[in-house]
Amino acid sequence: MPKFLIWIAALAALIALPHGLSFSQQEILVFLTINVLLVASYRLLTLTGEWSLGHVVIMGVGAYSSALLTKKLGVYVPVSMLLGGVFAALIAVLLSFPLFRMKGFYFLIGSFAAGEIIRLLWKRFRDPFGGAKGIKGIDPMPDFSVGFYQFDFFEPTSYYYFAGVVVAVCLWILWRIEKSPVGLTFHAVHWQDKLAQASGVNVRAYRTLAFAIASGFAGISGALLAHYVGTINPNAFDIDLMVFVLTWAIVGGTATFYGPILGCVVLTVINEVVLRELGLEQMRPLIYGAIMILSILFLPNGLESIVQKFTQRRASNGAPERSPAE
Amino acid sequence: MISKIVKSGLTRRTFLHSTAAAAMSAGLPGTSLAAGSTIKIGFLAPLTGAVAAWGKPGLDGCEIWAERVNAAGGIKLGDGSHNVEFVAYDNEYDPAKARTGATKLIREDGVSFIMMLGGDTWPGVQPVADKTGMLFSTLLPSDLSPDTNTLIAPAEVHPIYNVTGVEWLAENRPELKTAVMCAQDDALGLPSVATYLAAFEAAGIEMLDAPLLFDPATTDFAPVVTRLISKNPDIVCLDTCYSDYVHPIAEQLFQQGFKGQIISCTADFYDQMIAKTSEEFMEGFVFQFPDFDDPALNGDNINFTDPNGFYAEFNKRHPGQWGAVSWEYASIMDLWKAAAEKAGSASPDAVAAAMKEGKGKHAFGDADWWGTELFGIDNALVGDWPVVAIEGGKATIKEFRSIPDWYAKHGDLLVKHMQAYDQMWDQRS
Amino acid sequence: MLDLLAQTGLNAVYAASYISLVAVGLVLIFGVMGVINFAHGELFMAGAYAIVALYAGLNVPFFLAVAAGLLFVGCLGLLMERALFRPLKDNPLGGLVASIGFLMILQALAVMGFGVRMVHIPPVTQEVIAFSEKVRLPVARLYVIIAAIVLLSALWYFLKRTKFGWALRASAQDPEAAALQGISITQTARIAMFIGAGLAGIAGALTAPLVSVNPHMGHSVIVTAFIVIIVGGVGSLEGAIVASVAYALVHTFVTTFWDGVLADIVGLSLMLLVLIVKPTGLFGSADRA
Repeated sequence: MPKFLIWIAALAALIALPHGLSFSQQEILVFLTINVLLVASYRLLTLTGEWSLGHVVIMGVGAYSSALLTKKLGVYVPVSMLLGGVFAALIAVLLSFPLFRMKGFYFLIGSFAAGEIIRLLWKRFRDPFGGAKGIKGIDPMPDFSVGFYQFDFFEPTSYYYFAGVVVAVCLWILWRIEKSPVGLTFHAVHWQDKLAQASGVNVRAYRTLAFAIASGFAGISGALLAHYVGTINPNAFDIDLMVFVLTWAIVGGTATFYGPILGCVVLTVINEVVLRELGLEQMRPLIYGAIMILSILFLPNGLESIVQKFTQRRASNGAPERSPAE
Repeated sequence: MISKIVKSGLTRRTFLHSTAAAAMSAGLPGTSLAAGSTIKIGFLAPLTGAVAAWGKPGLDGCEIWAERVNAAGGIKLGDGSHNVEFVAYDNEYDPAKARTGATKLIREDGVSFIMMLGGDTWPGVQPVADKTGMLFSTLLPSDLSPDTNTLIAPAEVHPIYNVTGVEWLAENRPELKTAVMCAQDDALGLPSVATYLAAFEAAGIEMLDAPLLFDPATTDFAPVVTRLISKNPDIVCLDTCYSDYVHPIAEQLFQQGFKGQIISCTADFYDQMIAKTSEEFMEGFVFQFPDFDDPALNGDNINFTDPNGFYAEFNKRHPGQWGAVSWEYASIMDLWKAAAEKAGSASPDAVAAAMKEGKGKHAFGDADWWGTELFGIDNALVGDWPVVAIEGGKATIKEFRSIPDWYAKHGDLLVKHMQAYDQMWDQRS
Repeated sequence: MLDLLAQTGLNAVYAASYISLVAVGLVLIFGVMGVINFAHGELFMAGAYAIVALYAGLNVPFFLAVAAGLLFVGCLGLLMERALFRPLKDNPLGGLVASIGFLMILQALAVMGFGVRMVHIPPVTQEVIAFSEKVRLPVARLYVIIAAIVLLSALWYFLKRTKFGWALRASAQDPEAAALQGISITQTARIAMFIGAGLAGIAGALTAPLVSVNPHMGHSVIVTAFIVIIVGGVGSLEGAIVASVAYALVHTFVTTFWDGVLADIVGLSLMLLVLIVKPTGLFGSADRA
């Protein structure tokens, strides 16, 4: 089956990828992998039609929880990462009570305010959050060997493989959720709010569920980041990063599962690799901004629309993707 | 595919021999320099974004430093003279990007030494420093802890030097008895608050109010100033406020009718502050950063090379941009150059060893490697620091004062206040 | 104590003035265009840099420079309308991303033109109206207060009493019905963008001598403006003004009597509280969100 072969080839390419890169590009690859999970989890939330500006702070909740669990309670790192995700999901459930009284633009700004309050609390309570300086010296993932490969988690390649597996599993779960009846209900909540409600769907409960799941995976991505960099602080989860996540998702397009991921990969490569190598220094934000504007003007349905055109022409008899009606 | 894009040409001064450097082994940075080759120094600081003001002017200063050193024959090591060149990486004040930048500078560019602003970004770099043994410098000694063996704080000993200004003030203006203070609530503001509190207590000056903290995003300072002067203090202390705060605060103090003494850590662009207030109002303003055309800097005790010429050149190229960071990175390079020439090598280990042998050549005079009590490690270069006052519209060095002498008398106060603000090295999580 | 209260009151009036100028512009753009203009803080910044270039750089008289700043930033608004928001009018999220791209460009241009550090603007006037030893209103701040009152009154008159204003409000409420009535949507969009951006520009221009002008000064302004328009109710000009005054009062008094960090937390918490009690803001109606 050719589809099967494509997956194998993609897997092989992903495994081989770091060996074709320079050291600093390997580092960028690690952060890119983590951000892929972040932006993919963000898409699940947007399925219900709500756009949050608090997603990066929720990622930070996962990072702080996991870091504190290992530092204060000595929890084993992979376990704490998982718990970080659980904690982020719980905080999201709590936040959903005030936030889901709002919709649209109000939700957007409401989620921003909620996130800012969390960030101010991290700054205010130096014990245990470390104040503005945050937490440093976070335990790294303990090294281990699987016989044929020695994992040394200082090395970006090792951490890339580890994070890659975690992210792949998470993406698979996110994908399964989206294709399940629950995921289809998320779509219904977005597109036919009133109808869904009339047919007995508890819209609020489904919104909360999507918010919690998305936040849980964002929390895991935060924990992955914390245990690699070894330090976190409130400024690392500020609106600037949130703006990047938002633009990755929109420039990539949110009609398909891979759209936001594509946006994240392409924009990160442009900003962190291409523009840096061009030695543009202070011009970098300008060109990045211009690229964002051009892409949204000339690809209003996102980068994914290029891929769609390509694949649909190739497999004209295949089932068409959901049309990007946004 | 990515590496293909990268290798497609597009070389610039900041992008050097990626293929040759990539072939170099991972853990041994810059140990073997070809004779006559250029020594590369990494500059890893924010160059874009809101914190860029702490990086970019420093890089400008370093470019001038490099030209002057190269024109004078470069750095003389055991195997002859080498020119020096700076390789910059914009870390955007983000720990993850700082880690990426450190990796690039060490493993791809083959630098011999890396200068950082420090702060939020240092903990991200620390694992890289530990693994590679690269020598790093920071402007913020609060980055130091017992396990930061390859990190030095050789220029700025912020915030401890602030005690000299308070001590000088207490001796020369003994009639001033009461003070208030405001500070931004961040990693630079809080240790400084603790330092000033200790200094005021040591000088017998009474604090009328707890220090007023404001958010770093504040733009309108009228409410802050109204509160500060509501109890009629003799002294208003601006802590280590950035110039973006110092200026509007001073302007508001002027307009709300304050007539007392002001003391601050910095007063970058003080000429603009005088323009916004008046010469009489700013007369006697005490701070800690001299202009480098000050005649007192031509003394034999000063280790900074040709401060007056450097100042003139900087002002020629970047008019009106002179500030504390303009010279600090360059002064670290003076120290590094002296150590490298003494060691006859640019390798991080040799330079670090030569640097820490005996007295350190700090910009403001020979100083001691110090800091175990405050930072857990003796990697801060602490000695004399100038007390500067504005006189007749011009910053004037009043005196060089010894920080260790103050600490010997009042160290317990500093530790007490640092602990109250959770700023001791063993309290920082 | 009375002096302290009076001075704090004056501080609050000034804060309310510049915040409401920015917030009303943001509301107007959102009401008519249906996009969230993330670049609004940078329009404020552009107004301040107009003063840097004209007043501080070329010695143009201050009020002439302010007028030029208003025109310049208004034209930036027109540029955004034509180049970004019109092509993206069916794509509000696209408009959001485009405005983010635009703000990055404006910031980078400011950095390249004037450096990363704060730039100097000589004071316009150092005169102070002293009500008592401790109650003082600098005249430069009075200008901002007067400008806010005059401009916002003029805007109110324009919207409620003129034909243009009527068209503008009609297309804000229901663009399709307005189009059927023969109102040119493009024309109203242009007017709204010019006025909205111009208000941010004049706020930036007038406050430029009073604050630290640097390329990133727009950030804290936009955050405050967002809080204000949410509390007031998105799309409500009256709401934006009332909320500006309320926010300025709370923030100024909490800063003066407790501290500045707490003031931010209180401001944000109050906003969340308003949203929980009335999810469309004080003056908002459900159908606009």
